[in-house]
Amino acid sequence: MSKPSPVAIAAVSEMKPGRYPDMDGYDLYIEVIRQFLAEWSLKPSDIQGLLACPSGMAGGGSNDIFVHEQLYEEMGIKPLFADTMNAGGSTYGLMVQRAVLAIQQGKVESVLCVGAGKFPKVSTGGAESMARMVSHEIYEFPYGTFIPALYAQVATRHMHEYGTTVEQLAEVCVSSREWALLNPDASMYGNEALTVEKVRQSRPIASPFNLYDCSIPLEGGAAFLVCSEAYAKRLNQQPAYVLGMGEFHNHRNIHQASSLTDIGCSKSGKQAYEMAGLAPGDIDFAQIYDAFSINPLVFMEELGLCPQGKGGEFFQSGAARPGGDFPVNTFGGLLSFGHTGDASGMSMIVEGIRQIMGIAGERQLDKANAGIIHSYGGMMSEHSTLILGRSA
Amino acid sequence: MNDLTTGETASLEKPQPRITKCAEPYWQHAKDEKLVLPYCGECEASFYYPRLWCPTCFNQDISWKQLSGKGKVYSYSVIYQSPLPSYQGDLPYVLAIIELDEGPRMMANVLNCDVDKVSVDMTVEVLFEARGEMKIPQFQPTK
Repeated sequence: MSKPSPVAIAAVSEMKPGRYPDMDGYDLYIEVIRQFLAEWSLKPSDIQGLLACPSGMAGGGSNDIFVHEQLYEEMGIKPLFADTMNAGGSTYGLMVQRAVLAIQQGKVESVLCVGAGKFPKVSTGGAESMARMVSHEIYEFPYGTFIPALYAQVATRHMHEYGTTVEQLAEVCVSSREWALLNPDASMYGNEALTVEKVRQSRPIASPFNLYDCSIPLEGGAAFLVCSEAYAKRLNQQPAYVLGMGEFHNHRNIHQASSLTDIGCSKSGKQAYEMAGLAPGDIDFAQIYDAFSINPLVFMEELGLCPQGKGGEFFQSGAARPGGDFPVNTFGGLLSFGHTGDASGMSMIVEGIRQIMGIAGERQLDKANAGIIHSYGGMMSEHSTLILGRSA
Repeated sequence: MNDLTTGETASLEKPQPRITKCAEPYWQHAKDEKLVLPYCGECEASFYYPRLWCPTCFNQDISWKQLSGKGKVYSYSVIYQSPLPSYQGDLPYVLAIIELDEGPRMMANVLNCDVDKVSVDMTVEVLFEARGEMKIPQFQPTK
């Protein structure tokens, strides 16, 4: 079989995460697309496919499970390939993967992937609805679940098996904050640097997590255009090539995960490395979905970027920080950039694209030839790994 | 879908699980304070949670088997701040994944235990907590 034709991401845009009380999920979508079209010079005929995600999960209320229909009509395009899809935080990684297959199959030359999310301050009833949504309604929710306590199961187990400490978890937050201070779009830009002590002194939420171990709930959205190589080159001299991709769907409810220290990311990662013909040592940086401090630590291990059980030591070494040997979450992470609800899975992909394109401003890495981007949906349930690079 | 933004009223009573058809024996035995799980004769293994088929081999010929009710803490979190009104009086409380001696894992609270004393691998035994007309399995340190 001949090698599939190269596919690359040619254009990218993200709203600054914040609170937009006057906008509902659909208004955010329209604003994301307006900003995207204002930043990149495109005609309607440049967009042949459209993938969107309902913005209503974290936003609540709005019934937008068919949002792609409204968006393509309002944009004025008639796509040959379109869908509304949802796999939580892994949605946008999987959009890239679906778009690559459609382009390689010759269905379309380009697919616009777009997401918007609201993450409002939930009322008590709202928090209860969210707990019900992310845990098994019958076999988990009656035990008083809520989101931090479900992720905490993974952290506690990691600490037990490998001796990981709460101070090492805090190092993940410290590192992300340092990057956020270099990113004018990050919600914590202009804020003060974090220290391990400050994280440990923030109020306890669900052990081992304190307040600063949790990401910052905000609103926003992003869009990017996945294209055939010829199309991409027309729009951008340095597009971000999709070199490798993989997905794996492990469980839905955290108590059903067969292991909390091998949670499925290694399987999507292996597919991505194999497709790219690259090994962990060939990767220059990682952008990793980090709803909580434990996530990057576990995923660094599962992606083979540090030895199993050594994620804590990796972050403690400072390697992930600005100037370090292996930068992680150079946009500030969801921990310090902000978590935009249903659109949160966009932010690490957007940053990976920007680093590859060389347009990441003050935080641009000197070496960004190949980067890995991992996102997941649910309670670390389903996984998408992408490897992006500067040349096909 | 519930509206998360405009203050749907939260429950003041702790949640009472919805009984699905395939889980009727599970809840019926729980009411009698017995931990009885579905059992697959092909795999010779109990599984959790109740389903119409064995998730390992798709066998639909499922029987029911009482378990020892003993297990250990696989992982846990001590919850200091919860948005759930019905759990406010319990703060801080323990949300845990329990690994039963027979293999299956289930989520539960660890009750009758100082939250600072809970640890991974701590041995626990089942007890049952009333929820309305029903009872749900919970765990406490082995006596």
